[in-house]
Amino acid sequence: MTVGVSAVAAADRIVLLGFTDVVIIPDSESALLFATISAMDELRVISPTREGEGIAIAAGLWTGGRKPLVVLQNTGLMEAGDALRGCGIGPRIPLRLMIGWRGFAGAQAGRVPIDSAYPATEPLLAAWNIPTWHLMSDADLDVVDAMDDEAMRTSLPTAVLTGWAFR
Amino acid sequence: MIERLELLAAAAELRTNEIVVMTMTATLQWPQVSTSPLDFDFLAFGMGHASNFGLGLALAQPDRRTIVWKGDGGLLMSLGSLATLAQHGPENLIVILLENRTYEMTGGQPLPTRVDFEALARAAGVEGGGTGGTGTVERWSTIVEARHGLTRILVEPGPHFVVASVTNSAPLPPVAHSDHAARVTNLRAALGL
Repeated sequence: MTVGVSAVAAADRIVLLGFTDVVIIPDSESALLFATISAMDELRVISPTREGEGIAIAAGLWTGGRKPLVVLQNTGLMEAGDALRGCGIGPRIPLRLMIGWRGFAGAQAGRVPIDSAYPATEPLLAAWNIPTWHLMSDADLDVVDAMDDEAMRTSLPTAVLTGWAFR
Repeated sequence: MIERLELLAAAAELRTNEIVVMTMTATLQWPQVSTSPLDFDFLAFGMGHASNFGLGLALAQPDRRTIVWKGDGGLLMSLGSLATLAQHGPENLIVILLENRTYEMTGGQPLPTRVDFEALARAAGVEGGGTGGTGTVERWSTIVEARHGLTRILVEPGPHFVVASVTNSAPLPPVAHSDHAARVTNLRAALGL
């Protein structure tokens, strides 16, 4: 099985699910997704300077009637903790997060030292009670639907973790 | 220097159908001059991010303006938001920085003294920036300037970033810890969502 998700397939699924805006701070792994969605007329792409900003912008978009997706790296998620708490969990704003899992690929390859962001990511999401799915290949794309449905059902943030670079 | 409550009252008088997002001490005084369902208390929603939230709202609601009352301590927590405003700020967004040079909400601790917020906004590209290339940056130091400025920016395309030099001599009411989810639900209902 080919690892990594096709950027085109992911972008198509994002559109199919009715997302209107993608708030993204690209990293090395999501660079191709960023380029793909930036070329699409169906999505508005907003690139803030830090992830906490992005969370707050997405919260404003949703409150105003849009359906944003936030794409960020796990390291940025750690920076954005206060925004996620304040603009997502507390006010029950159903933010959908697509999180690049820095350190995953290296850990799978047995590289040392293990990136400290890798083991902290899932426990951090669990501590916030954020339901999380793994999006590791095109065969997993339905987890984006599951994440979307759960956010709508609970009116709370949900997430998918992407372990490999988009291709 | 402008008496903050006088500035807020002037804005409430001129305001029509705008969404108003406020944070920190403005959340204590804005309710004294306005009870609109389009008012949104951002207190405790994420430190430094009121204008980011307002930017999202303004993009989502292009047919009405969004006004954000923001503190200078909060801006220091999110200086990058100025660059985001310059890049993605829509024409219907107004950010008014209540510059009092202190962390007033936490006891009046001083801010770094040499920061020039107006210059920072200009250097970030807000003037002439935003999605329409119509961004403005200005400073209000008197209530007369503020009244003129408010009248203008409530009709002219932005995004507008204003540094309002304020002081406060009015007693502040205690913080109202209202339900966060209800604040969102109420604003969405007022927007017909």
